[in-house]
Amino acid sequence: MKLDSVRDVKNQARGIVSQMLRNDVSRRKLGVRAQSIENAIQPRSIALGVAGTNNGDYKLAVRVQHPLLVEGKEVQAIREMAKGEVDVRYIGQVQKRQAPWYQQRCRPVRIGCSVAHFKVTAGTVGAFVQSAGEAAMVLSNNHVLANENDASVGDAILQPGPYDGGQNPADQIATLTQFVPINFASPNTVDCAVAAVAAGIAFDSKNLDQIGQLSGVRPSPVDNGDTVAKVGRTTGVTHGTVVSFELDNVTVGYDNGSATFDGQIEIEGAGTFPFSQGGDSGSLVVDQENQAVALLFAGAETGGSNGQGLTYANPIAAVLQALSITLIV
Amino acid sequence: MGYTLEEARAAKDKAKQLFTSNVGVGITRVNDGYAVKVNLPDPLVDQENIPTAIDGVPVQFEVVGQIRKQQP
Repeated sequence: MKLDSVRDVKNQARGIVSQMLRNDVSRRKLGVRAQSIENAIQPRSIALGVAGTNNGDYKLAVRVQHPLLVEGKEVQAIREMAKGEVDVRYIGQVQKRQAPWYQQRCRPVRIGCSVAHFKVTAGTVGAFVQSAGEAAMVLSNNHVLANENDASVGDAILQPGPYDGGQNPADQIATLTQFVPINFASPNTVDCAVAAVAAGIAFDSKNLDQIGQLSGVRPSPVDNGDTVAKVGRTTGVTHGTVVSFELDNVTVGYDNGSATFDGQIEIEGAGTFPFSQGGDSGSLVVDQENQAVALLFAGAETGGSNGQGLTYANPIAAVLQALSITLIV
Repeated sequence: MGYTLEEARAAKDKAKQLFTSNVGVGITRVNDGYAVKVNLPDPLVDQENIPTAIDGVPVQFEVVGQIRKQQP
């Protein structure tokens, strides 16, 4: 069939499907029929679409979610309507894809999971830190925890972040404590903020999923070729290589404008993967000895020897110094 | 013998002045020494007159496009 013809048949066939669904609703009002659990939970629905053929023509695609529908009267009627030019398949129940752990609610809160200020989409829990004599805090970016300077100390921090379904106040795990303002007029060195973990919220400051245990802060700066890894809210565990350091004038686009950063670290992903994507902001970058080396905050979609873009991160020493904090390990 | 980190740092400062359209100028390695890396938002127009070294220190160019915060 020509594409337009398939579309016409599809529109006509919708009537058959609609009538079938109306009949089902009417039957259910009369009571639940005795039947196997398997049959009862399988939806009786038919999806219609367009399927291509080997000769460049098109057929009506008919996808049924209950095995008995394949030979049922509705599909038979649709077959006749399409003069046999149909591609009927039983697809079963269509499941919502399960989100990975780092985009779900995590208790204890773990390094690498989704987090954000209540007005921000989502970023990543980088690590747990503390300043002298104070309670534990979550470390991430300013643009994750402090909404690019537009937040106030005491604001609610949610895990998961709102983009991943986090609700305020049900999913509050911390309150914003401190952030280094992003300067949109002169160079920055860090994009970072901390939030005090609320009483009763358990957290795991040590384990990096599939990587190992965080071993502390690397005492020396990174060098080109150093192998690094991170756990982040979007891409999970990734590995990469430092391709440039002491990078100045890194110009980063934010919602509130462009800001430049000096002294940054540039990383490319290993193999055919990017090192990070949107949502990985705030991830802690560690070296091969699981020592913290950087705080991930930005990325470019092009560049890198694998063509998967480049990732930018603040040296962790600059972050810890700017916030006067130490890493909890 | 390649160039030292200090030599690369000095060349990096000059590269920042030379390539004003850069979106990042940093240090990288080539072979047995250090070099300068210049990140650009778009390809340079006048490719023939691009210096491949500053004070002998090799210069690498890479088009990285726009850099954004990593947030969905």
